[in-house]
Amino acid sequence: MHFYTFVLRNIFRRKVRSGLTLVGVAVAVGAVVALVGISDGFESSFLQLYQERNVDLLVSRKGLMDRLTSGLDERVGEKIGGLPHVKAVGAGLIDMVSLEKLGVIGVMVQGLPIGHFVFEQMKIIEGRNLTAADQKGVLVGKILAHNLHKTVGDTLSIVDEDFTIVGVYGTSIVYENGGMVMLLGTLQRLMGREHQVSGFAVVLDQHDPKTVDQVRQTINALDPVRIEAMPAADFVESTSQIQAAHAMAWMTSAVALVIGTVSMLNTMVMSVFERTREIGILRAMGWRRSLIVRMILLESVILSVAGGAVGTLAALSLTRFLSSQASVAGLISGHISAGVVGEGFVIALLVGLIGAAYPAYRGAQLLPTEAIRHE
Amino acid sequence: MNNNHADAPLLRTERLNKLYPDGQVHALVDVNLAICRGEYVAIMGPSGSGKSTLLNILGALDAPTSGEVYVEGQPMSTIRDLDRLRAMKIGFVFQSFYLLPVLTALENVQVPMFEGPLPAHEREEKAVKLLELVGLPHRAHHLPEQLSVGERQRVAIARALANDPILLLADEPTGNLDTVSADGIFELFARLHRERGMTVILITHDPELGQRAKRLVRMQDGQVKSDHPVPQPAAPAE
Repeated sequence: MHFYTFVLRNIFRRKVRSGLTLVGVAVAVGAVVALVGISDGFESSFLQLYQERNVDLLVSRKGLMDRLTSGLDERVGEKIGGLPHVKAVGAGLIDMVSLEKLGVIGVMVQGLPIGHFVFEQMKIIEGRNLTAADQKGVLVGKILAHNLHKTVGDTLSIVDEDFTIVGVYGTSIVYENGGMVMLLGTLQRLMGREHQVSGFAVVLDQHDPKTVDQVRQTINALDPVRIEAMPAADFVESTSQIQAAHAMAWMTSAVALVIGTVSMLNTMVMSVFERTREIGILRAMGWRRSLIVRMILLESVILSVAGGAVGTLAALSLTRFLSSQASVAGLISGHISAGVVGEGFVIALLVGLIGAAYPAYRGAQLLPTEAIRHE
Repeated sequence: MNNNHADAPLLRTERLNKLYPDGQVHALVDVNLAICRGEYVAIMGPSGSGKSTLLNILGALDAPTSGEVYVEGQPMSTIRDLDRLRAMKIGFVFQSFYLLPVLTALENVQVPMFEGPLPAHEREEKAVKLLELVGLPHRAHHLPEQLSVGERQRVAIARALANDPILLLADEPTGNLDTVSADGIFELFARLHRERGMTVILITHDPELGQRAKRLVRMQDGQVKSDHPVPQPAAPAE
């Protein structure tokens, strides 16, 4: 008989209790994997948006908490375009709209001028691209089109104004596929933000950190009070929505983890208490305290890692399911990184170890003669 | 235990006293006893006479309040690893067997071996042999609840022998058994003593069974009242 066989027998002794504990850990680890995975996906997808376009710097309004809706005068772009090493400047206005009648909230709308490099990377799947004449036209991402059951030629009511879908596009970025694109001027007018842009994406002719930093400082010097240029990664990481998503994910996960750990603690305390006499017998047979500790910790860790595996699978299925749902499809990527899954397992392991630490200590401290007398 | 005291008794107690924490119960009073290798000793006495306390102290499960136990000449209080002493040199048999209910007979016998040096497959081979020794090879894969009480105690004895101890301590091993099963268990102890030269110390309430040991120690009020060899039958089998 292997030691593991013995440990497994103990776990299976109380099937219902072990099962419920496993579910408790599964919920906790599942919450971490799903929530942290989603918020990480949120960040990496945003970063990808810029990285795929070789964007070196992002220029936005300085000191604003919510940079996605920052407003800068669009003429600043011309000044940036004239700086050394600057290859291209893309102005863009980003706003969020809700298509409540169609059951979709929080759709990202990008307003872009004709010739913006974003257009080059969009693959038009149906219809055609926007032209300068499409003041009442809109391009719809493939996920959004699917969720809205709309196609080329259909009408879409955005902020009480009717737009015609001229094309459906696909990109490798989930938010864009769940969003819309219209002409910059149109979005400015629709949102009452004339001559304003959210910021500029700047592509340089050299991508080394030194040049990037040099240009960043030059841009900042253009208007130190209002303008702030940042490398794409810093920009994404310090974006308040991303930070809020991370904070929410970890806070919710922390609550779930505390509950999972307490549930494990409860189970193991009960299990050790019930087996007081048995532990006394094992000690009488010469089992060292360390072997008692190993037995209890191993039981707990096997339960928690199994719970972690179940929770992770559930989280992966849940995010995949959510990403196919109309209301959130544009916001959630169905993919969860291996790193997050790894974090989930480490957390499961910790839940097991922490939850069993005290019971194991208690079990090891039992005096054989007293434990054997225990009823 | 070391081998530097080959001439010393296996166990010797010197003015052993045990007071339970509240100070009200003086379980052992100046107990002096020497037990040599290969002896078969029965301890008898009324309830509360200190038999189990003595057995627990001899088996390194409990410590005396004062006095000393010498194991092959070495003071037990100086032995750092009493767990190892219990694991490798002493086998315990309890009145209520205390088999682990989730393990089969074969697996129960292997439990003490987790502290020993054998790999898993050798543990199992050895457990099979031990079950044969106690006459239960056919019950190897049964759970304790599927065994009779006599069979359970046999499994418990096989378990006590798992690490080839030199000393077998049994606390009323037949207390929960019917006469026939009790007889069988005593025969098993006698055989282990006879064939393996095992030192056996057991507690019993049954005077008839007590007479089947080679030496009888009677206790009363925490003290040794008498300690003498048991007259052997005229024509011993040995």
